[in-house]
Amino acid sequence: MTIRNKAAIVGIGQTEFSKDSGRSTLHMALESILEALADAGLEPKDVDGVVKMGANDDLYEIDLLRSLNLPNLRFFNEVPHGGGAACGTIASATAAVVSGMAGVVITFRSLNERSERRFGVSTIGGGMTHWRQYYMPHGLVTPAQWVAIFGQRYLHEYGYDTSALGHVSVLTRKHAATNPHAMMYERPVTLEDHQNSRWISEPLRLLDCCLDTDGACAVIVVSAEKAKQLKSTPAYIAAAAQGTGSRAEMMTSYQRESLARLEESEATAAVLYPLAELEPKDIDVAEIYDPFTPMVLMQLEAYGFAERGKSPELFRNGKLELDGETPMNTHGGHLGEGYLHGFGHIVEGVRQIRGTAVNQVPNVKTCLVTSGVGVPTSAMILSKEPY
Amino acid sequence: MADIPTPFPQPDRDTAKFWEAQNEHRLVFQKCSQCGSIRYLVGPLCPECHSFEHEWAESSGRGTIYSFTTVRHQTHPAFVPPYTVLLVEMEEGPRLVAQLRAPEGTEVVIGAAVHVEWEDHEKQSLPVFELDE
Repeated sequence: MTIRNKAAIVGIGQTEFSKDSGRSTLHMALESILEALADAGLEPKDVDGVVKMGANDDLYEIDLLRSLNLPNLRFFNEVPHGGGAACGTIASATAAVVSGMAGVVITFRSLNERSERRFGVSTIGGGMTHWRQYYMPHGLVTPAQWVAIFGQRYLHEYGYDTSALGHVSVLTRKHAATNPHAMMYERPVTLEDHQNSRWISEPLRLLDCCLDTDGACAVIVVSAEKAKQLKSTPAYIAAAAQGTGSRAEMMTSYQRESLARLEESEATAAVLYPLAELEPKDIDVAEIYDPFTPMVLMQLEAYGFAERGKSPELFRNGKLELDGETPMNTHGGHLGEGYLHGFGHIVEGVRQIRGTAVNQVPNVKTCLVTSGVGVPTSAMILSKEPY
Repeated sequence: MADIPTPFPQPDRDTAKFWEAQNEHRLVFQKCSQCGSIRYLVGPLCPECHSFEHEWAESSGRGTIYSFTTVRHQTHPAFVPPYTVLLVEMEEGPRLVAQLRAPEGTEVVIGAAVHVEWEDHEKQSLPVFELDE
């Protein structure tokens, strides 16, 4: 038995992205969920499954369930490890609808990450427990600083200067510039802008870092059979997978053999492609989780678009542009559209498959979507047609 | 910036001896009694052979810079930039995070030899690294 093309995303919903939503994460989650249900031609009473990302939000699932008042709920699940969970929620929903444990499953993400709880600023102090006790007391307190240690090592091992990071920023901001939904709409940057932006945590500059954002996204997953009865254009789930690596920590796995690659993403790719019976060359569009620029380079290698240490060439050769071999982050990603823990990537992936994206790539048949990096992670491949 | 207390390690039942030793200015690592491998981060079980048994072995305090970041944007009231945090590969194998103690502007290069010195704080002494002469 395989899950290949046995489930589909049939509804998407998305609030505006902003610096201050003016409303609660619960409010935004409900808005995006109702929009996704309407998009699929479904109602709350049809929902019997909810899968939530576990970490770093202030939304209690019980409040969501009470608000939607779901009389038929029989499958609820929470996927751990921060942004690594995004496509993991789709994997869990897929398992539920393919096995028959549920028929209509909601997954979502809602954050007031700019106006209420910024990830880019450390808000905790005092006694540090668990993994934090080894890093926070030494002044390594934010994701940018944890990732800088990996990024420094990547540049060192492969002999690049920071322009290799800058090309990632330029490409994503170019795509955001033509996306009216993006925080950085009509605000493209040049490599010079990147090099002139201020240091955050060397080798990372301001333009290497994603945008703390308020907003919410939701998707509806049903079986492929049920998808055929609904009014929306389905994005079939060719594969969805999770993976982890050796000596795993939350973004600080510094004890593992190499810090110039992402074991979790490699492990996920090793499950994902065989499950879809596809190869990297078969991917028409790639929505790559981009919290910080070095993580994009390492993921492009992990997911087979370049050999280790060679991904910067993809940018120099135009292969990731909208008219290139594998257009990447067509919506502008976390660096340009806004940081919604990978859910903006999921929604954009569905739009590319439907043919309704603002930066639409012609004739998209397959789309790779990846999730949070440096943590146990997940990814999926969407397909226009079941095969 | 909001009033947030300085972070310090909160020893737990697994890590207490690691931090107690540091308050005596000794850097120690767990050594597996069954397979001999050094266990770091500190934990109850050897990830290599799954033995709970271990002893505490003193580190030489010497290592080489494996990676680093110089923080130039303030994100916590307790840490005022610029400061450099090193990831040092210790002679015993583990990679330890601690700040570099050196005059501002000192060039930092991967591979440089460093050694542990100690700084006492209210709740917990912590290692810092200095470049070898």
